Amino acid sequence: MITSLEQLAEIVKDRKDKPRMAVTWAQDENTLGAVEKAVKANMIEAWLFGDRSRIEDIARKLRLDLDLFKLQHVNNEIEAAQETVRLVKSGEADILMKGLIGTDKFLKAVLDKEKGLMKPKAVLSYVCAVDVPDYHKLLFITDTAVLPFPDLDQKVAMAEYAIEMAGKFGIRKPRVALIGASEKMSKHFQNAVDYAVMCKMAERGQISPCIMDGPLDIFLACDKKSVEIKGVDTPVGGDADILLFPSLEACNPFYKGLMLFGRGELAGMLMGTEVPVVLMSRSESEKSKFYCIALSCLMSGKNN
Amino acid sequence: MTLKKLSELHKLLDNKPFKRLVLAAAHDSQSLGAVLKAAADRIVQPVLIGDEKEIRRLAGEANQNIEGIKIINEHDVEKTSEIAVKMVHNREADVLMKGKVGTSTLLKHILDKNWGLRTGNLLSHFAIFEVKTYHKLIAVTDVAMNIAPNLREKISIINNSVSCLNMLGIDMPKVAVLGAVEMVNESMQATLDAALLSKMNQRDQIKNCIIDGPLAFDNAISLESAIHKGIKSEVAGDTDLLLMPDIEVGNVLYKSLVFFAKAKVASVILGAAAPIVLTSRSDSEQAKYDSLLLAAATAK
Repeated sequence: MITSLEQLAEIVKDRKDKPRMAVTWAQDENTLGAVEKAVKANMIEAWLFGDRSRIEDIARKLRLDLDLFKLQHVNNEIEAAQETVRLVKSGEADILMKGLIGTDKFLKAVLDKEKGLMKPKAVLSYVCAVDVPDYHKLLFITDTAVLPFPDLDQKVAMAEYAIEMAGKFGIRKPRVALIGASEKMSKHFQNAVDYAVMCKMAERGQISPCIMDGPLDIFLACDKKSVEIKGVDTPVGGDADILLFPSLEACNPFYKGLMLFGRGELAGMLMGTEVPVVLMSRSESEKSKFYCIALSCLMSGKNN
Repeated sequence: MTLKKLSELHKLLDNKPFKRLVLAAAHDSQSLGAVLKAAADRIVQPVLIGDEKEIRRLAGEANQNIEGIKIINEHDVEKTSEIAVKMVHNREADVLMKGKVGTSTLLKHILDKNWGLRTGNLLSHFAIFEVKTYHKLIAVTDVAMNIAPNLREKISIINNSVSCLNMLGIDMPKVAVLGAVEMVNESMQATLDAALLSKMNQRDQIKNCIIDGPLAFDNAISLESAIHKGIKSEVAGDTDLLLMPDIEVGNVLYKSLVFFAKAKVASVILGAAAPIVLTSRSDSEQAKYDSLLLAAATAK
């Protein structure tokens, strides 16, 4: 079982058949720094698509060794997106990573019905594995980045993705907490209603094996003492592996709070695509960026 | 406690004061017959309100003893309902029963704001069956009163029924919320409500019972079927109470149990200040008698 992000990065190093990563519109200091580190760690092979001269400028500035990469010049970001997505689709690359290109343009290419990378009928969502010193294990949280107000079907997809990711870390039957402001059921809170339905779906085997409960607040999800004090009978029991949030606006500040105030690090990626797609915020720490690439290696069909 | 036969309800009456029953529009051969029989068996102590001459004639025709039974002579059917309801309201009677008066007329008086029998709870129909092929009595609700209950109404119906089952000595009744399937299906409201009711029960927002649903009829009553489908449930196969999604399902199930399975049934209306026996013409004399027994057993 992988119990920390550091361990994650170790495990995906030095594999025989390294995943090949295509980087879209690569002339970005943040991106190139993380990619170089991953290449040097012998995690991936990288194929940069971008403006050659600007990439060379950055390489000089950051003292990157461009010989570590395959480099292909493209004229603009749209071309970069189309070309990298095509490459992944045709099996010439195993992982896609976003560079300087705008997220909307990047996702447009990923989501394209014919040429894109979505699994059939899949929901696009985002799962993060978070490593915080004050919690006794890794915490998978969703959705920090994509779905603003997930409906029931989308919440089910989010749960499935998080369970799938936890599975790759070696966690069988993860404890899934469906997060709300309180543990009480009320039909006036659509999220609570969705949660009750999901719990029953999990009970009936309509969701992959897991121990699910919700609504639960963060304390009941992650703090055994609170469970005792409140006397709530919950199978998650303050020992959650996965936190599923009702909205992006709840989840995003939560994870950023953990990063900023909880000395947390993360590894996150898009889910619902045929291959791992790495997309991260600029404000992520150097370490977290590196972990995001490590995660994509773990989640890649290669080496499994 | 587990009850297997309706006749076991007699035991619940032992060492308890006589329950007083008032029969509205008592000049009705069927309900009068059941009441007089129940009186003879010391199940209830009746007061008959209606056309006294006709009441005496019907009793004589059926060879039933009416000596010592109080009769209030009232020819106006509407008035019999009013008097009967007021007696319950004033705690002069513990059980109300409908005779030869329309259900809507009696209900109007039951729901009267000043002297009716409202408690703030929803009125709901509760039926309990003795079926040879099931290992204990099984209650079914609501087959006759609430047409298409919403979530809030379903909670009230469960609460009514659970208190009633508690009075029958069944402490933590197992409640199966019925659906067409045991899976949650977004396009079937009954299955969504079932999931919510289960969660509310888990969170102690619905107390004194164990709720699971959706369960299809087969896995609600047959453990074998539940195991076959891989359902892990405390309720499946051992249900005490079946909650119906709506009146159509409930009514058809009720009648099929009676007609095809030859089940015995007793039923009362719950949620009012006292149990109300509102049997229909198509109910057998035995069903009416058993309903009186049930009402007496659950009256306060």
